[in-house]
Amino acid sequence: MEEKDCVALMKGITKVYPNGIAANRDVDFSVRKGEIHALIGENGAGKSTLMKILFGLEQPTEGDIIINGEKVVLSSPNVAIAHGIGMVHQHFMLVPSLSVAENVVLGMTPRKGLLIDYKEAVRITEENAKKYDFDIDPNLKVVDIPVGMKQKVEILKALVRGARILILDEPTAVLTTQETTELFRQLIGLKNQGYTIIFISHKLNEVKEITDRLTIMRAGKSVGVYETAGITETEISKLMVGRDVVLKVEKEKAKPTDTVLKVKDLEYTNEWNKKMLDKVSFSVRKGEILGVAGVEGNGQSELVDMLFNLNVPDAGTAQVNGENILGVPQKKIRNMGVSLIPEDRMTYGIAGAATIEENMISDRVDQKKFNRGILFDMDALKKESDGLIRQYQVLCKSDQQQVRMLSGGNIQKVVVAREFSSNPQLIIADQPTRGIDVGATEFIHKKLVELSRHGTAVLLVSADLNEVMELSDSLIIFYNGKIVAYFEDTSTLNDELMGEYMLGIKHQSPEEIGRVCHE
Amino acid sequence: MNDRRMMWFNFVRGLCAILISLFVGMVFIFLCFLFNGATKGNAGSSIVATFGAMRYMLIRPLFKANGAFNSMNMLQVLAAMIPTIFTGLATCVMFSANQFNLAGEGSVMVGGFVAALCGIYWAIPAGIHPVVCVLVAAVVCGLIMLIPALLKVKLGASEMVTSLMLNYVMQYVVLHFLNYQFADRTKGSTQTAAVRETANIAEIIPNGSKLTWGFVVALIFVVLTALFMYRTRWGYTIRMIGINQSFAKYSGMKVGSVIILSQVIGGVLSGMGGGIEVLGRYQTFLWKELPGYGWTGITLAILADNNPAFIPFAAFFIAYLDKGCQLMATYCDVPVEMIDVIQAAIFLFFAARQFMSKFRQKVVVSNTKADLAKQEIPAEGKAI
Repeated sequence: MEEKDCVALMKGITKVYPNGIAANRDVDFSVRKGEIHALIGENGAGKSTLMKILFGLEQPTEGDIIINGEKVVLSSPNVAIAHGIGMVHQHFMLVPSLSVAENVVLGMTPRKGLLIDYKEAVRITEENAKKYDFDIDPNLKVVDIPVGMKQKVEILKALVRGARILILDEPTAVLTTQETTELFRQLIGLKNQGYTIIFISHKLNEVKEITDRLTIMRAGKSVGVYETAGITETEISKLMVGRDVVLKVEKEKAKPTDTVLKVKDLEYTNEWNKKMLDKVSFSVRKGEILGVAGVEGNGQSELVDMLFNLNVPDAGTAQVNGENILGVPQKKIRNMGVSLIPEDRMTYGIAGAATIEENMISDRVDQKKFNRGILFDMDALKKESDGLIRQYQVLCKSDQQQVRMLSGGNIQKVVVAREFSSNPQLIIADQPTRGIDVGATEFIHKKLVELSRHGTAVLLVSADLNEVMELSDSLIIFYNGKIVAYFEDTSTLNDELMGEYMLGIKHQSPEEIGRVCHE
Repeated sequence: MNDRRMMWFNFVRGLCAILISLFVGMVFIFLCFLFNGATKGNAGSSIVATFGAMRYMLIRPLFKANGAFNSMNMLQVLAAMIPTIFTGLATCVMFSANQFNLAGEGSVMVGGFVAALCGIYWAIPAGIHPVVCVLVAAVVCGLIMLIPALLKVKLGASEMVTSLMLNYVMQYVVLHFLNYQFADRTKGSTQTAAVRETANIAEIIPNGSKLTWGFVVALIFVVLTALFMYRTRWGYTIRMIGINQSFAKYSGMKVGSVIILSQVIGGVLSGMGGGIEVLGRYQTFLWKELPGYGWTGITLAILADNNPAFIPFAAFFIAYLDKGCQLMATYCDVPVEMIDVIQAAIFLFFAARQFMSKFRQKVVVSNTKADLAKQEIPAEGKAI
């Protein structure tokens, strides 16, 4: 391919982070004018890093960037925007308390004297929304609009700033099936107007559906550029992981027995006066995995926070084996046999600057077997952490390595090793495999199933449909802080049906939902 | 990544910080000569004088003019380490828990005052008398530290602000009692009566160097504090809270109690340092302002990267520099305040996390490349 055809060209990009992780190694990447180009690869393959470099958020250690035939140094996002590059992040960068129009013009606000010219802001937003055929109301507050619309606001924000190349980081991850269809329609519209779109994803069917070409990354390297029409999904997946991905989880049928966790009428209204939990009632039994599905931000995180006393509900009860766990110190909750894999592992799951050993033992340092009088029994601690490293296959040099030096998947294995090895009666797994590689994901799935079949109750909260549908024995769906559906058996479910419930188009009757409360 | 190479990096980084600060000090000394004294206005002879002064500062604490080893100076340097080792340890414990409590300064003064009073008014047999005095001082200072600690945990008040203010409260309360209750009116200056002989802490070698048995106690406490921080569940909890408080809470640690504990220990150690210094060096209480050991303790903790085991080395370095600057000031017409300039420069370079970060990044890049060359595409998830 001729270099001059490319609107953006990245040559020999290498990026080494301060923690020593080489996220990109001699990567070449290029996009043409007016194409939708997929950048695909496993989590941790280096896609996000490459795009952060193109958007000026990170500086490459080596390599050149050429935009419209001109070599440039993208020292900050502002410089990248000036070169016509816009990025829509996976987690939206919007101000929730401001209106759509205010968000769109943020940083380039039209003024009337000292005041913001709000009318002009609305006009700019409306004009552009019409131009690009986006259906949004500029006067709504961002906090009140659904996720799909937030994404449109983000895209519009980039377009208003003059972006000709749009980077979309996993745009469909938070969307329902219906919203995704809508997004694709708009992306094709933009393409026809001559815009270039870089589409980061690991959903192969979407990539096949919408993109013209694709670049596949693996372990920080580019493993090839292909015309989308000329490659099959199986071939792509082989190139991505270097082996066939087994997404099926082998598990026996669950034989649930006694109720372990019983939640009744939980209610919570957040500080922006939004009802995040609305009379939530359910129970989890010994030996079953209860999945909690739903588009993120519909109350799942709040539920988990309540169950581990990281927040206090306005009303309702929650009991583990008949004992209250709301507002109880974490130590006591843990002593009741509750384990939590937190959603945000870097904030709650680990102490990054501490060693692997120190992270493995954080919940059990008080135990008698690790202490001799007032001093630690260093041998016992070492034995424990080395044992867990081996058992959970944490890839590291020694247990004295700092945890933050490990890869995401291995960090998560440290968290999982600690939480699974405390002999739990109830495991709350909140997004247990988010952002980690396939190998670690598979491993964690297997362990989770194994524990549940040995009688542990598991509450699995996941925004990953594939994960929650494959792993769960039964499943509830959250929408707008409410449970809108309960499926006793997940084997008959399909994505489309799930999407309808997750989007709030359908909901079951209270009687149907009530079946999730076992006595 | 190669951990040993990173350790080397930290060592080199520290050395560079020290050398640069010495250089900064040298520039200031040069300016002193250039604008004052006999060499005023003469750059050439100012440079000569600067190097002469540097020789006093860096070499004379150890060697006499004729090149012989100066044991007296050396013992005095060791003696000067006694209070700062304690405040350094105190700061290590508090900073490890991410508690920027600065009340070590005031605690030294209160500790000294309380120990002196116990030494003056209580009749206790020799041997245990100083022990009792120092312990009482430690307990009082530990209790005082409850104020910023409880304010932090119960009301969310920044311990940095409250402890900083608390220093002045402690200073003036002590001065009040010194002036109006305990001053010995027969003395020419404001000070208490001398403590009973039984309460004196004796010199290891009675030669006037002031190197008392307190030095041995200080070293014992270095070992105890290091053990506490790295070999007990409480020290472990303190460190984990310092690294990530959310993680500590989620893991089921008693965050509030341990935050309080860390500050109380800080008070106890600072108070001991003050008590030992007063009973060992002065045998009377005569401080009329904050003695400055608490501030030095902060410098030491930063030099030692909050690791108690490194505190004696940091304390030696600062005490040595102190002695050198005193000699320089005495013999070379350089103001004694120069020690503060050099200390401040070291402080700046050590505290600046980004200092030499470009060099660090280069080390990281070359390490990673070496690692990658060894194992092409590491297979995630495979057991070691």
